[in-house]
Amino acid sequence: MDYLVAVLLPQLLHGLVFGAALGLLALGLTVIFGLLGVMNFAHGELYMLGAYAGIAVIGLTHSFWVAMILAPLSVAALGAVTEIATLRPIYRREPLYGLILTFGLALVFREGARQIWGGDMRRILPPVTGSTPLLGMTYPNYRLFLLGASSVLLLAIWVFFTRTRAGVLVRAAVQDAEMLDGLGVNVPRLFTLTFAGSAALAALAGLLLAPVFTVYPQMGVEMILLAFIVVILGGMGSMGGSVVAALVIGIAQSLFALWMNPQRVAIAIFGIMIVVLIVRPRGFFGREGVLE
Amino acid sequence: MSRVVTWRALVAFGALAALPALPLASKYYLLLAFDALLFGAIAMSLDLLIGYTGLVSFGHAAFYGLGAYATAILLERGVLSVWACLAGAFVVVSLYAAIVSYFATARRGIYFALLTLVFAEVVYTFFRYTQTFGGSDGIQGLPDAVLWRGVPIDTPERKYYLVLVYLAVAYAVCRVVVTSHFGRVLVAIRENEDRARFLGYSVQRYKMAACMISALLTGLAGAIYPIRSAFATPDLMLWTESGEFIISVMIGGLGTLVGPILGGVFFTLLRDKVSSVVDWYFIVIGVVLVLIVLFMPKGLLGLRRLVGSRPWRQAA
Repeated sequence: MDYLVAVLLPQLLHGLVFGAALGLLALGLTVIFGLLGVMNFAHGELYMLGAYAGIAVIGLTHSFWVAMILAPLSVAALGAVTEIATLRPIYRREPLYGLILTFGLALVFREGARQIWGGDMRRILPPVTGSTPLLGMTYPNYRLFLLGASSVLLLAIWVFFTRTRAGVLVRAAVQDAEMLDGLGVNVPRLFTLTFAGSAALAALAGLLLAPVFTVYPQMGVEMILLAFIVVILGGMGSMGGSVVAALVIGIAQSLFALWMNPQRVAIAIFGIMIVVLIVRPRGFFGREGVLE
Repeated sequence: MSRVVTWRALVAFGALAALPALPLASKYYLLLAFDALLFGAIAMSLDLLIGYTGLVSFGHAAFYGLGAYATAILLERGVLSVWACLAGAFVVVSLYAAIVSYFATARRGIYFALLTLVFAEVVYTFFRYTQTFGGSDGIQGLPDAVLWRGVPIDTPERKYYLVLVYLAVAYAVCRVVVTSHFGRVLVAIRENEDRARFLGYSVQRYKMAACMISALLTGLAGAIYPIRSAFATPDLMLWTESGEFIISVMIGGLGTLVGPILGGVFFTLLRDKVSSVVDWYFIVIGVVLVLIVLFMPKGLLGLRRLVGSRPWRQAA
């Protein structure tokens, strides 16, 4: 019982917290994949830039809350510009080109961040301190805030896609962009705005996780691999699947960390993915023939 | 001349063989030429998969790194024969490649890219954290390999000729593959997978075979690397390395074999030159990549066609 409360429960919560933030990252990746057919290799760098933009804003205003608004907005603007300048001209080409283009963008962003902010590890102080007694243990307030914020955001995204006209348009574009274009919707603008939105989500995930982890130029590289695994596990193009898979991976990762050394955890996560793909080749919620 | 051995290829390899005789060919430039040709050979092997079969592998660094580790482990244990190293790499890489290609070729497009990436990441993580193989430092300070009794590969010239011979053999293998019936089926799969299937070809088997050939050629190239560098590190298997292979193929031109060799050479020289001038060479490389995708998707050989010189004979 002591083991349960003192060890298992906090670790489970850690996993949930991490999984929810990972969900934000993976969701943007899934939407862009569904919409543009591009697996965005630069997504991890947008996540990293979110954290650095946060550091810059906090340096100027000394407020985490202002950063939570300004950092995603600035990364979204960068995303919009990038989309218009580089991705828009290659919409009609093979997905391969998108993959390689975003790989190039990732190199530029990563090295750019290293040139501007240097290569050392940085930290952001959590805006919420202290801890709360919870179910017989004490849990840091910031992580609770992180869980709450991610959940609210995920819920808001769900409402956006199901209840608002813009969200329905995005889903329609995933189904058949050409038809939507024929119906008079400005599809290129829709693509750009969606890309900007996904960049903002990635940036927000980066900023929210920054007080828990450290900030450095390569931080996106490891996260993007995890996010790829989440997207594959959830089923390509399935938004619900991504969120579920993100929570599964988040919890699995922190539970494994109890029983094996951190290095083996990474291999175990890959193992999960391989097993799932053997049993369910299209992931949890992937449908046959979608984007293959 | 046959379809495989062309005059143009003979002249090119003859010129490359004469390179060490040039007065410019210092130790530094010969080893740079080694890296350039090795990178070219890998890009060419990858082109078999990307350019001809239409499968983008983001996991070739694992084949490369496994080959390198096979050699490094053998050299470290005192097995100095180049042939033993190549044989060891062949066995290890074919075992791993069989597993990867079985799972990865079952899926198309993006899935294939991501599956190869994840498999490669497993291998990377394994070597990165296994202290028996040196962990993140890898295996350092290897002795020189021996070609025959009393013929160590110790000078830059010998190392250069080793990689040149390898490139020639690998090029011949690739030419045989793409000019054969097998190669044409691969192109058919790239153009229209369903149609190839309806014609009665076992698409997955063809894909697996293409994947295996490409992986083995890359693995053998990896096996040569520690003979020049005297080390193998897990960084050889990092997925950004796979990305650099793909970049080389793109720079050179998909589906041309010769193009990716040039692409690999160009990329290696670019990296060497730019990194000796500025420390932000990744920005240069990233920008070059973006510009290539946007403005010359056919690569260097495509550019040749663009400026109106004699059209490059259609490969395959």
